[in-house]
This record gives sequence, structure tokens and C-alpha cells, in this order.
Amino acid sequence: MSPVRTDPPYGGVGRELRMVGRQLGYEQLSFWRNPIGAVFTVGFSVVFLVLLASSAGHSRNAAIGNLEVIQYYVPGFTAYGVMSACFNMLAISLVVRRETGLLKRLRLSPLPTSVMVAAIFLNAMVISLVQVVLLLAIGRLGYGAHLPSDPGPLVVALVVGALSFAALGVGVSTFIPNQEAAGPVISIVFFVLLFLSGLWYPLAKGSALARISAWFPMRHMITATFAPFDLRPGVSPWAWHDLGVMAIWGAAGAILAVRRFRWAPARG
Amino acid sequence: MAAVLVEGLSKRYGSTVALDDVGFEVAEGEVFALLGPNGAGKTTSVEILEGFLGRDRGRVQVLGLDPGERATLRRLRERMGVVLQELAVEPFLTVREVLARNAGYYPSPRDPDEIVAMVGLAEKAHARVKTLSGGQQRRLDLGLGIVGNPDLLFLDEPTTGFDPSARRDAWELVRDLTDGGVTVILTTHYMDEAEALADRVAVISRGRIVAQGTPDVLGGRDTAEARIRFRLPAGVDRASLPVSVEPGAGEVVDIRTDREVAVLRALTTWSEEEGVPLLGLTVERLTLEDVYLRLTGYQASDDGSVR
Repeated sequence: MSPVRTDPPYGGVGRELRMVGRQLGYEQLSFWRNPIGAVFTVGFSVVFLVLLASSAGHSRNAAIGNLEVIQYYVPGFTAYGVMSACFNMLAISLVVRRETGLLKRLRLSPLPTSVMVAAIFLNAMVISLVQVVLLLAIGRLGYGAHLPSDPGPLVVALVVGALSFAALGVGVSTFIPNQEAAGPVISIVFFVLLFLSGLWYPLAKGSALARISAWFPMRHMITATFAPFDLRPGVSPWAWHDLGVMAIWGAAGAILAVRRFRWAPARG
Repeated sequence: MAAVLVEGLSKRYGSTVALDDVGFEVAEGEVFALLGPNGAGKTTSVEILEGFLGRDRGRVQVLGLDPGERATLRRLRERMGVVLQELAVEPFLTVREVLARNAGYYPSPRDPDEIVAMVGLAEKAHARVKTLSGGQQRRLDLGLGIVGNPDLLFLDEPTTGFDPSARRDAWELVRDLTDGGVTVILTTHYMDEAEALADRVAVISRGRIVAQGTPDVLGGRDTAEARIRFRLPAGVDRASLPVSVEPGAGEVVDIRTDREVAVLRALTTWSEEEGVPLLGLTVERLTLEDVYLRLTGYQASDDGSVR
């Protein structure tokens, strides 16, 4: 028997990064081959944007200072796309993987947990990125939306949102007891909160819905993503308050995730 | 050196004792079967060896490493393979893709194409996992267990759901692996599987090892009483047989004895002299299943129902 190696293992970061890339490739293959996953996650954001933009895109709305609504729907559905990939899809797929034994199988292989987690997060982010590109292109080319001239605030909003919602997704997945409940429970909560948060129409500042939805992170994701698209003079593209609230939610999700994560179904 | 060494292993879940002072040793290249009813502690034992579960007390060494030691767990997992029941495989990847992906997790894996052929899935290599039949999925499980070229293989009910010929093929594959020096820890409900594959067997019941040994001597099977059975000849009542039998009403006489030669001589002599045939005469040792059922406390009542 060979002596136990005690040196720092496995040739360092380079090999781990290659493993992440490889694992991400298989995650992507799995995702795009699953018609339900691809349609529900990517298809929905595109279809919603096209439907709403075609019917009312050029009307003006008082809640956003009489801007054309397209200027709100493009960031709104971009935010939705990121949330649906990083929160909804990630949480549901984690529950399914846990309950069907996929997680346990990986846990029993030598694949490092850090590599697995990185690949799962990056997978959600790649799917988000595909939607962001599609939605911005549709908004710009199809409906003449004005994209922010400085991409910085938008990129920060999307990245903070993606990370926060991914952490929340992992946290929420630990509360779902079985695979059958995962889709319905997570999706219903997700869509109800989105409805309250003004995804379908801009909420007036100070309205009852705006006050209620301010307690939940979805509202802040939408407003933080909208800020760079808000063409009114003197409005900052940086929505620091919204970014902060999202980050707090993300941190709470991460704490829950670390404390409650299970690799296998609970023992009956 | 032992591939697996377990001493004084104990584990509780809350107030339930799952394992109580379990000990066994598995030599390199050996096939070791862990038998026991559901809930007896088989899965808990195996999960502790795999480093999936922690333990409360006891010493455990697997391939010279402590599976409870996080720092060396990856090294251990690079050298072990696991074939577990009811663990799904990504449904939208193909057989070949899943094997190639997992091969990449190990430092010196086997060729995925070779594995595809070994487990008899060559025709399904490019089929998506979700299109496989139950038996084909189990064969893929087996392939995933060995693609990392392990020194130690955990097989949990490896042939459940296999048709008889696929079972023989799987056994043959396990024998080929062990000829190559792979150590195997097998859990199974099939006694014929344990008998066909295992060099040694341990029976676990209510968290304790109640017997261990080679399949042919387990539970004193080699020295235990033999079982002689024949049909009671017409017109003969039990009391007039030349050997003492337990009273009973059935048509079949069932004698347990450790003096089977003497009993048989008495019976056959009587049969010859009286001209009474002994129809359906059989002599058998306890089967592994008999021993197992006795050790695990199973009692069948006269009408065959479980008490």
C-alpha cells in the first residue's frame, strides 16, 4: 500500500478550475437537453417580455415618471430571468437531486464539494447570462428600448442579484421535504412574490403593494435592475439601498444553506 | 494488511441505537457480504465506511485511511467505488457521457468505452439515461461503480431487478474484478448471491453482528443438524416409525438430527423389511437462508405465516 500523501493535494488551483469547467459543461448539457427546464426558465422570460412589450410597450406610465413602459419591462424581465435561473430553477433542481440520490452519488465520488457547488452556481449564471443577452437584444432591436450607456450599475445589480438569489435558492431548498412538493411550492411562492413586486406593471412609490413587497428581495432585484434604465434626469443608476437589501437576503440564505444542507433525503 | 478494519463501532440516531459494538475485518481482495434485515444496520455500517456518515465510537480503517477524517476523504474516494440502490443518474445525459464524466473525477480511471462493453450496454452507449430499462440502469450503476478503477468496491443490492442471465453476468463481472485484486463489500438480500460471491459473510441484526464466517460454516451450518424429510407412507402412523419424530398431522415427516447416518440406516432398513416406500426422501443441511433466518430471529408458524 502506498504511503498516505500529506502534501497539498492535486496540483493546485489549475486542476480544480479545469474540473469546474468540465463539470459546468455537463451541467449545461443536462440543462439544455431538458425541454421543460429550458422552456420554463428561458422561454418564459422571453415570451413574457414580447407579449407585454407588444401590447403596451410604448404606453407611458406615471409610476415611472411617464417613461415608455418598455424601459421598465426590459430590466424587469431581465431581473426575472436571473431570478428564475438562480432561485427557482436552482432550488427545484437541488431538491430533485437530493431526493433522487444524485447529490449522494456525487458526494460519494472524489469530486470536491467546492467544484460541485461552483459548477451548480455557474450553471445558473450561464443560463441567466443567456437570458440577459436575449432580453436586452429583443428590447433594443425589437422595441427600441434605451440600454444604459454605462454597463457598470447593470452588471453589478445582476451579479449581486444572481449571487443573492442563488444563496436563497439553496437555503429554501432545505425546507422542501420532497421532490413532488418542490416545483409547486417554490414556483407558487416565487410567482406570488413577483406579482406583488411589480413585475407586470410598475408600482407607484408608496403604494400598498410597494410597501409590502419592499420586505421581500424580488422587489429590490427589479428596482435595482431598473435604476440603470431610468432615463429621468438626476436619477442615479446605482440603487444602493436595493443592492444592500438583496445582499442581506442572500447572506441569510447562505447561512440557512450552510446550516441545513443535506446530501440525501431525510431518514424516514 | 486488512482492506477494511472495524472495531467497537457504535452509532445512534437520537435515542435509537443503530450500531452497537460492531467489529469485522475484510482482507485485501476478499468479497465480504453483510447480510441482515432492513433496518438492521447494514446501510449505516456501509455509509460509515464510505465516509458518508460519522460515527459515535469505535475504530474504522478503510484502505489504511479513517473515513471520518475529512482531510483524507478525497484520497479515499479516489480509491473506492460505490454501487448503490436507488441513486438516480442525470436523465438527459447519455450512458457514455455519464461514464466519461465520472471517469474524469478519478486519477487513474478505466476507459469508459471498455466499461460500457463490460456491463453490456454497448448498444445503449449513446442512449439517454432516462430511456434505459430498470435493469439497464442498474448495469450503468455497476459501470459507474468501477469506472474509477477502485481498490475497494461497495455493492449495495447490486442485482436487484436483474433477470437471471444479467445476474450471472454481474456475478461474473464481480469475480473478474476480485481476481484482479479488488476488495468487495456486498450487501444483499439474496442468499444465493452471498453464497456465489462472498468469501466471508457477517449477519447483522438489530445493530449487532450475530455471526460471521465463510458461507459454508456460518452459524454452525457445517456441524448443525441435518434435515431428513419424506412422505408418511399410507396406513402408517408416526408412532410406528423406527425413529422418533415429533408428533404432527402433516403428510410430510420432517426430522432434524445430528445423527443423520444412524437415522437414515434405521429408516431404510425398516423400509426394506416392511416393504414400505419412503417417497420423496431428501437429506439436506441447513441452507444459508435457514441459518440467516434463524440468526435474525425470524419465526415461521405452522401455516407458514410470519409470527
